[in-house]
Amino acid sequence: MRKCLIIWIHLILILTITISQGQSREKPLSIFGYFQNSFFHETGYTHWIESQSAYNSFNLQQLNLFLQKDISSGWRAFVDFQFLNTFSSARRWGSFNIEEAWIRYRLNEKFTLKLGLQIPIFNHLNEIKNRTPLLPYVVRPLVYETSFSEFIAVDEYTPTSAFVQAYGFILLKNIKLDYAAYVGNSPNISWQDPNRQFESQQTGIDTTDTILLGGRVGIRIGEFKAGLSSTIDYVNFFEGARDFIDAPPSRFSEIPRIRFGGDLSYHIWKLSLWAELIKLTYDDDIPNVSINKFFYYATMAYRIGDDALVYINYMKTEEDITELTVSGEGDPTSFQLIQLLTGRQNVHVPSCGFSYTLFDRLAFKAQFAPVKLKGNVETLDLEFDINFNYYALAISVFF
Amino acid sequence: MKVFIIITVFLLHFFQAQAQVAVIANKSVPVDEIDKSALIDYYVRDIWVWNNNEPVTVFDLKTKSDIKDKFYNFLGKSPSRMKSIWMKQMLSGEGKPPEALASENEMLEKVSSTTGSIGFISSSNATSDVKILIEINSD
Repeated sequence: MRKCLIIWIHLILILTITISQGQSREKPLSIFGYFQNSFFHETGYTHWIESQSAYNSFNLQQLNLFLQKDISSGWRAFVDFQFLNTFSSARRWGSFNIEEAWIRYRLNEKFTLKLGLQIPIFNHLNEIKNRTPLLPYVVRPLVYETSFSEFIAVDEYTPTSAFVQAYGFILLKNIKLDYAAYVGNSPNISWQDPNRQFESQQTGIDTTDTILLGGRVGIRIGEFKAGLSSTIDYVNFFEGARDFIDAPPSRFSEIPRIRFGGDLSYHIWKLSLWAELIKLTYDDDIPNVSINKFFYYATMAYRIGDDALVYINYMKTEEDITELTVSGEGDPTSFQLIQLLTGRQNVHVPSCGFSYTLFDRLAFKAQFAPVKLKGNVETLDLEFDINFNYYALAISVFF
Repeated sequence: MKVFIIITVFLLHFFQAQAQVAVIANKSVPVDEIDKSALIDYYVRDIWVWNNNEPVTVFDLKTKSDIKDKFYNFLGKSPSRMKSIWMKQMLSGEGKPPEALASENEMLEKVSSTTGSIGFISSSNATSDVKILIEINSD
């Protein structure tokens, strides 16, 4: 009996030591993040479309908190919480998102697999558009700047999320051939609307049996990088127009949405150049309806010493616009079409700015951007031309 | 005497200007030499394992110095460019910046004691505790 007890005690001790050694081989959980506070002033404008008085505001533009843990050799888990625009649930402003929650398996430089909610690789900026410590801008290139969402449909230009992505590069002497391929949801996501009384559906899920497919191929030679990106998914945005436009109902559902992107970056001496373009096409067959879009930007930056950067950049969007005006009460199927407006809107923003980094974790930024909105409403034979200036200061902190 | 002093000062300056940077590695590293493009790949973390699948650990020097400037000049990337690359990897969950060490002595100690590691110091400070993979001339 005594011998058995001694053996059991030894076994328990050995097991305890083995478990604690196993736990000590795990890497600790890393918690880090960043935030950017900004102050901006927007000059007003007066136009027949609308008037806006000048205004300025401080803002916690963005705060991201990351959790990261290496859970085994080659496996890493990563979570990204994002708070925008001085988020406050009590005051009902700003927003909070779970931006990413994925696990990554890295076999080698040729193949990495990422599973879970993630920001897919598209062009140069999509992955890092919200990583404010990496960007010299206060106002990012337009389609990556959420604060411009009232002028520009920012969520349409780039894929916001994917759930399975494989990526890597192939090394040929000094040339790296990059690739990425991913799958995600279509944009037809069920959302919580208190007015939708008759639907009780799980929110946050794709309501169709279609998916997003996308990818990027690129080349890197030294400090030169270029690539082509593309995605396809299927949208049901047009279903609301089905009762008001004379076309077969099937044309309004699951319309292919195709994005093409190109990116270029180059660093030489103290100069850096970044440029992108995105073409967004809805392959609809609906008469008099078009919401296709096009965007491009180019930035040239010059580094002064190790810590300061000045830049100039130019960005432009060109959007086809289609708007339906309907009237009615009660049952939507009884609504009447008042008018179908079609036109075009272009947003031009040349800007210049400056950033200064203090001990790696703190950056001060300033930017001036004169904004020009020009366009026309073809069906009413009207034109508009709105101009205002945007001045911004920001402090970006990485912790 | 004056001539002697002038010659001595000149020679001291000459040898200082010719100071080399040695890229050093732990003795476990499965290569005995390295080319510039491979060194860049390890430092920008495009490649993170040796050909025997053991992880590559790279070290940096914390403070600005002649040796650090020469090393990054050789790579063709400024220290600020490297920081930008490392920070992008960190904020994307793809990697983290290398540990930045306070001195060449600490670099030597860390590289000699860390399996699969590489770093850089002035050639005159290298000892037999580490391998020298490449020597970078100052010119």
